[in-house]
Parts: sequence; structure tokens; C-alpha cells
Amino acid sequence: MTTTTAQTTQVYQVFIKATPEAIWEAITEPEFTARYFYGSRIQLDDGYRSVDAEGRELVAGELIEIEPPQRLVHGWRSLYDESTASEPESRVTWEIEKRDGGVSLLTVTHDRLEGSPHTAAGVSGGWMYVLSGLKTLLETGEPLGG
Amino acid sequence: MDDDDRVFKALADPTRRHLLDRLYERDGRTLTELESELEMTRFGVMKHLRVLEEAGLVATRRAGREKLHFLNPVPIRLIHDRWIDKYTESRVAALTELKTRLEETA
Repeated sequence: MTTTTAQTTQVYQVFIKATPEAIWEAITEPEFTARYFYGSRIQLDDGYRSVDAEGRELVAGELIEIEPPQRLVHGWRSLYDESTASEPESRVTWEIEKRDGGVSLLTVTHDRLEGSPHTAAGVSGGWMYVLSGLKTLLETGEPLGG
Repeated sequence: MDDDDRVFKALADPTRRHLLDRLYERDGRTLTELESELEMTRFGVMKHLRVLEEAGLVATRRAGREKLHFLNPVPIRLIHDRWIDKYTESRVAALTELKTRLEETA
């Protein structure tokens, strides 16, 4: 790795052979997220939370916008590490666009990371892993490396 | 051309790899910023950025009147999962097997 600092706005995109509805389900249903999001289960109620198999909170944030099946915006605090847990909340935007040929474009933008350098560094490899796993799961029915 | 073809084609050019490296250092740049670091016409840089965009390696966002370019590393990760993991894993497995066999016969 070089010494470059992590970006304060990070954009990740992936084309997935699936409908927006299927992608929406995969990012908002705990049974799905457990299969590609480091085993964590998502909980959307008052806010955004993701918890591990033992029920420990890994990520938490405010639920800002929810518009199935195309847009989900929520706050993000990485609670799994001491250095990131104390940083201010950043923001994650999921956008799903239907494209031709049964393909959808999923864009994840993680921004407002100016005051959260440890979080910014921590999530940059993570989003790639998560989106790659999500694509594999939706297109093959199998988790990555499974 | 499938998705992988577009990514390999986009990466097969030194100027485009250079543009990705510039974005890796600092993301969210305008065409004008990127152009100032290359000895190339604005049109040339635009053309290369378009190939990178079509391969999904560069994502763009509008911020007011400006168009910002972001490095999207997901396609490289997909290539890695598809083409690199597979072969390095079998090499590691082969070495592990060799080690076991050599130790057994020793």
C-alpha cells in the first residue's frame, strides 16, 4: 500500500444481473446480508444497524431515506473497532438503477468521511469485498468462495 | 464484448492505468485537474476517461456544474476473484501437497 490517505467520498459501482427488487431484498433482508456482508445481519427499524451472529452491534447509524427498490440512505459508524467507534457518523447511499437486458447498476457512495479517517481507511477495501460478494450471490446463488 | 473484456482492454493502456493511479491518490477529480497532469490534449484525456467509464472503472458524479471522476475498484476486485484467487489458491494447494509428500518421504 502507498501512503495515500483514504478518500472522504468513496464511490463503488457494480452491474448485477438481477432486478432492482432482488437487489433491494438482498441489501435489506438480514438472511441475505448474513451471506455476503461479513456474516452481519442488517436491521432497519428506527435506524440502520448491523449485528453479528452473537448479536453484537457492528455498524449503526441514522436511517435517512428509504425508497424501495431504488434508494437507501443511512448513517454509518463502525463500532467493531475502537479507533472508528469514536469517530463522527458518516453517510452511505445505495442507489439501484434498472438497465437493459435484465441488468441493474448498484452504486454505493460512502461520504461525509472528512472527520472519520480511520473509518474511511477501514471501509475502502470492505465495500469492494461486499459488492463483489453480493454480485456473486445474486448471480450464482452462492456466497463468494462458497 | 463482455464486462471482463472491457476491463482488460481498458487496463491494457499505460495512459489509462496512469489515470487510475492519479484517482487512487486523490479521488473526485475534474477533467481539468486530470488533464493538467498529463501531456495530452483535453480531447485525448476525455477519450481515455470514456473507455474507463464504459469498463466501469471510473464512476462520475455531478457536483453543481462540475463532473467529478471517481475510481471504482469493484471490477478489478471481480477480476481478482475470478482470475487470480483461483490460480494462486491452486498453487498454494500444490505447494502444501508437495511439502506434505516431501516430509512423509524424509
